[in-house]
Amino acid sequence: MQVSVNKISERKAAYLFIIPAVVLLAAFLLYPALQTVRYAFTDYNIMRPDRIKFCGLNNFIELFQDKDFWIAVKNTLHFTVLVVPFQTVLALALALLISSRRKGVSIFRAAYFSPQVTSMVVVAILWTVLYNSNPSSGLLNALLVNLGMEPCGFLNDPKTAMNSIIFMSAWQGAGYQMMIFLAGLQGIPKDQYEAASIDGAGKIKSFLYVTLPGLKNVISYVIMITVIQAMKLFTQPYVMTKGGPQNATRTLVYYVYEQGFQKRNFGYACAVAAVFFVIVISLSVGMKKIIKAD
Amino acid sequence: MRKRMIGAVFAAMTVAGLCAGCGQTKERVNEAGESVITVWSPTDEPAIEDWWVEKIEAFNQAHKGKIHLQREAIVRADSYAYEDKINAAITSNDLPDILFVDGPTVSVYAANEITLPLDDLFTEAEWDDFLDSSRQQNTYDGKIYAVSATESSVALYYNADMLAEAGIRVPESKEEAWTWQEFYDAAKKLTKDGVVGTNIIMDKGEGLPYVLEQFWISNGTDLVSADGSQADGYINSPEGVEAAEFLNSLIQGGYANIDPIQKEFHNERAATMLGGSWEVATLENDYPDLNWGVTYFPVAEDGILTSPTGDWAASVTKNTQDMDAVKEVMRFLFSEENVATYAQAISKPPTRKSSYDVLTEYNEYPRSLFKEQLMETGHPRPRTPSYSVLSAEFSEAMLNIFTGVDAKEALDDAAAATDKDYNKYYAQE
Repeated sequence: MQVSVNKISERKAAYLFIIPAVVLLAAFLLYPALQTVRYAFTDYNIMRPDRIKFCGLNNFIELFQDKDFWIAVKNTLHFTVLVVPFQTVLALALALLISSRRKGVSIFRAAYFSPQVTSMVVVAILWTVLYNSNPSSGLLNALLVNLGMEPCGFLNDPKTAMNSIIFMSAWQGAGYQMMIFLAGLQGIPKDQYEAASIDGAGKIKSFLYVTLPGLKNVISYVIMITVIQAMKLFTQPYVMTKGGPQNATRTLVYYVYEQGFQKRNFGYACAVAAVFFVIVISLSVGMKKIIKAD
Repeated sequence: MRKRMIGAVFAAMTVAGLCAGCGQTKERVNEAGESVITVWSPTDEPAIEDWWVEKIEAFNQAHKGKIHLQREAIVRADSYAYEDKINAAITSNDLPDILFVDGPTVSVYAANEITLPLDDLFTEAEWDDFLDSSRQQNTYDGKIYAVSATESSVALYYNADMLAEAGIRVPESKEEAWTWQEFYDAAKKLTKDGVVGTNIIMDKGEGLPYVLEQFWISNGTDLVSADGSQADGYINSPEGVEAAEFLNSLIQGGYANIDPIQKEFHNERAATMLGGSWEVATLENDYPDLNWGVTYFPVAEDGILTSPTGDWAASVTKNTQDMDAVKEVMRFLFSEENVATYAQAISKPPTRKSSYDVLTEYNEYPRSLFKEQLMETGHPRPRTPSYSVLSAEFSEAMLNIFTGVDAKEALDDAAAATDKDYNKYYAQE
């Protein structure tokens, strides 16, 4: 009898303990999310909160006919599809390079991780300078010209702008994933490598048949968080290109910001945000299913 | 029992914290029974911050027991942080009494009934002392909605040594101002050895409509109709397309950079620059060795003489509760004396004509040139409730044109987006 009373009071205490978290989540996540959905069906303009009118599905109809919205979807996918494999492979390569216990490795580890501890805004401003299209002021173009090549437009050329952002984003983000991979590498038992080498496996074979399978869970975790982060791309286009040139770097989140805060079309921005939410949720659920099915 | 207590305390603290966070509203009357008037303006350089401290103290001394003036300086960490704060206050109906806004947005706030008309703030004679360009900027739908203390202008700065070496003559009166062709030829001739001929403001933001709109006006059109209701047929008119193509020819020829380095002109990497009146102080103080001069804003062939104007302005919001006290404060802030001292502290041309009697430096070159442009050729930015959309669309269109999109096509898109916003929110009113 005494035991079950304790259990009941423990359960009550548990509820009490989660109240703060639930209240905070409800106030800062759930409530705003529900409001976003509500406003998506109105013509809310930030300047006139007293004149909000319900407008049915108008925002969504407009959205599906809005070519800028589809360009933003395409750009967001372009970024995600390229940055995820690039950044993951880069992070894994860096992790393998520094996983050995050689002298001086910790310096490299700190160096590779340092872009991660720098604010993205600072990194983006620095890379804007590096990417400057004028060879007399942009370091990368100065390098190209000295090697006898044509200068590249980088952020000013719609063909290269998004790829330039992908490269700098992977450079900035890889350090964090590298740390996760490092932890994963340390979790692979040494005896598996010993067994493999006794069986005659070289470096490549032991990477393919010991390291990769051992990292399977870590890899799927890294891919998952990178995809979700990549979908939310905002700071780089905001700081570096303002969504241009010619729409080449306008992403979904940037489009939400632009419509909602710059152009004050809050209702419409909420509709874009709602669609974005659906896209991200279905992507995460889909990926989870694929990973589980493996 | 103990666990439950701890849990309950946590929960209570969280809820209390949340309530405290949302519950605060602006204090309108203080304990001493004084009417509290709050001013919001962006943080500024030290000279201006000092000006505010001194003036607020003087005002509060003189109005003890009646009015208490206070100012909240808001950091503009990026260009929209201040606007975000205003947007939040609009939503929660908790705006300050006096709100400083950027010149071209005066009409946006006025059209949305966030700010109140101020025509009876000064007498007719007093209003006449304010520059036309400033009054125009602050007028919407026939009523005055804001007051500015300072103005700005843009003219063509040049590197005197480079021009002398190239044998290029400089206009000495506004009638001689360079035509677009002369400006183009000079920029072409001056482009060599890593130096570009000119620098047209390329900040990818508000600088573009501020400076480049003048090319539309000079060519006989504008970005929108005079009443602000229509962009189609103006921004994308044949004259407008011609203006955009002219600017693009400077970029495509390599005579101006699409990504100029910081202070390109100051560091002798550009031979000329379309620069603001505020650059005079920077060049005098920080670049004493540079041999520079400044001349009039270029004009279209047989076009209209014009130059940009505009600066921040103070408006009174709908949330104010003591209009008499607010007017007392506004009359104080924009008195002849205070406009002159403010303009002097911030090194910008004052808006009151009488202030030029005190600030004699504006009678001498180079400042006299900006004063002349302000009084005779100044044009404020378009006054339309859709300005925020127009500004963003115009900047985007120009960047698209500079990276290869057809000028007509890019300007058509900007016109359509601006008109769509106007028709959605303001057309029926």
